[in-house]
Amino acid sequence: MADTVSMGFRGKVGVKQELDPLAVFQEDLGFIPNLLRAQSALPYLIAAQAKLEEALCLRDGAISRIRKERILLSVAADRQDNYCIALGTEVLSSLGEREAQIDSLLSDYRNASLSAPDLGLLEFCLKLSRNGPSVRRQDIEELRVQGFGDETIVEAVAITALALYRCTLSVALGPEPDFKPQSLPPRKVPAPRDGTHAAVGSDGQRNTKGRGPYVAAPYLSPNTFPPFAVVQQTHGFIPNFFRAQTLRPDLLQAELDAVGSILLPEDVLTRVQKESILLVVSAANLNSYCVAVHCNMLRGLGLSAEEADQIAVDHHQSHLSKADMALLDFAVKLGTRFSEFSPEDTAKLQALGFTEEQILESAAVTALNNFANTVQMGLGIEPDFDVPFAFEKSSANPPAAAPTLMPREGIVHLVATFQDADSELVAQAQGGDLEAFEQLVRRHTQLIYRALIAILGDAADAQDAMQDTLLSAFKHIGGFQGRSKFSTWLVSIARNAALQRLRERRNTESLDPMDSENDCNFRPRQIATWQENPEQSHSKAEIRRLVERGLLELAPKYRIVVILRDIEQLSTEDVARQLGLSVPAVKTRLLRGRLMLREWLSPHLTASSKGAA
Amino acid sequence: MITCEEFFAEFADYLENQVSPEVRQELDLHLSQCRVCHVLYDSSRKTIKIVSESNSFELPQKVFDPIIDRVMSKLRTDRR
Repeated sequence: MADTVSMGFRGKVGVKQELDPLAVFQEDLGFIPNLLRAQSALPYLIAAQAKLEEALCLRDGAISRIRKERILLSVAADRQDNYCIALGTEVLSSLGEREAQIDSLLSDYRNASLSAPDLGLLEFCLKLSRNGPSVRRQDIEELRVQGFGDETIVEAVAITALALYRCTLSVALGPEPDFKPQSLPPRKVPAPRDGTHAAVGSDGQRNTKGRGPYVAAPYLSPNTFPPFAVVQQTHGFIPNFFRAQTLRPDLLQAELDAVGSILLPEDVLTRVQKESILLVVSAANLNSYCVAVHCNMLRGLGLSAEEADQIAVDHHQSHLSKADMALLDFAVKLGTRFSEFSPEDTAKLQALGFTEEQILESAAVTALNNFANTVQMGLGIEPDFDVPFAFEKSSANPPAAAPTLMPREGIVHLVATFQDADSELVAQAQGGDLEAFEQLVRRHTQLIYRALIAILGDAADAQDAMQDTLLSAFKHIGGFQGRSKFSTWLVSIARNAALQRLRERRNTESLDPMDSENDCNFRPRQIATWQENPEQSHSKAEIRRLVERGLLELAPKYRIVVILRDIEQLSTEDVARQLGLSVPAVKTRLLRGRLMLREWLSPHLTASSKGAA
Repeated sequence: MITCEEFFAEFADYLENQVSPEVRQELDLHLSQCRVCHVLYDSSRKTIKIVSESNSFELPQKVFDPIIDRVMSKLRTDRR
């Protein structure tokens, strides 16, 4: 094997033979694939892929190695990825697969000599790789009928995801084939259209909760599986994406390593750039789960909810720089319209000043995204958060004959016409109709007041701030663009009015989401049993007084979350939007606020207490 | 059986009824055998119920009417 290889845009690059991860391939395959060599400028990308390959492919699992290689080759053939075809052919051949069988897999897998279950499994993988959103629980049930257990199903989904990871990288990096490409037999299976959602019907989304995951997901403790402890610490929660794969801790470990290696470093692309790539490519793949995750991640990185939503729906209308928009265009094309991708797309980024390392990393992030989208769709993993309403509205009912990519203008149109219950009055008020404005204000009086008292902690102050809020709302209503609910916007006006008041009285209390308080250390102390029905031993007025006093004891950042969630009964997602926080941050504050309130109420409501407030 | 610490790590989602059936099974089992966690769960559930039904910080109409009237009157005057 030559020391230097031609690798598409990266040109001639010296290969560092001492890289450990490459040894995995040398040992298993007897050579180092050029796809890995092409990433040698960023060794952590090689290490990430090596871990995925080792856990998923290079060893026998629930699926034998040769069956896995058949899946990898069939997906590559389906996508007409010549690099991966050459690689897969060589590996299968070295495992003893007959030439005629390989030819059949390349031209028409239906003619290969496969047992009925093997054919069923392969067809499932091809369906998942071509059109992930169309996979249903029914597909999983059919695999079970053919005798496949949940571990096999998890592995089949992950292998398909790995195939797409490889193909995405191969399109981006254009490595020279490791072996002379054979003359391919003519392909008889109809070629798929680009993207993973080419034929999604009107029922093609699984946005609604309660349908997944499709496989068993036994409880896995952070104590016995330390990577979960790390995730808990870094994310504040363990995403369902990982919880759904607990049948295979070894795969999970490899995925978590890959996620950590590819997404966490900040020295090439920033976290915001990477999360934006994950968001736009997931959106183009119509993957609601991943859209919700990455919108929240961007909010956690300091973007507003509106800006994150806008990137998901149409990044060209966002406030990103021209260069970052081009980066996202590159990723969307690479991730979903691979057959149109050409070296010109890379050249465009280079012309905008992106370095080869940055382009390489963006390709790896896109590949990882397609891996994650595929695993999520294959296993039917339930969202951790509500899907941003704008995206949900735009993707819930894609056109029956969906084009290769959801037309962006169609999405924008749908967002622009989104209406909440207030929109008619808002439009009138924006036209200067004072009666309409008054009606709106009366509709949301309690919400505004509660937001104010939550921050200010004082009824008289809150009533004064109410007046400021209403005047400010009227002054700025012309700037409300309808991208969020009107009530969300009103709360943000109230919040600003309250914070202004706090600043005026030089109060140091802060609602800054960056407050670095360790929320995990709070532990309840009161462990006396409560009365069976506290409401029966106290009057409504007593209970209300107790709750109000207890709430006023909380720090504002906890108080506002409890008030909006438990008294105003807003969803966690809506609370997060109104406060400009990520959902995990709200969940953490909500739990802590509730527990502190419980602690405060306990002496009044335990079985041994007398009952007077 | 899972430990109290493990129970507490899942507690937020358990309260919101957002855990998978498999995790719920583990948590239910723990609750049935751990008095402290049972008290914590029971009292937290009651806290949420009490707070939700308390109508706390509801501004009476006789308080908010004058505020809104003042604002509307100012806006109407400004317009003229």
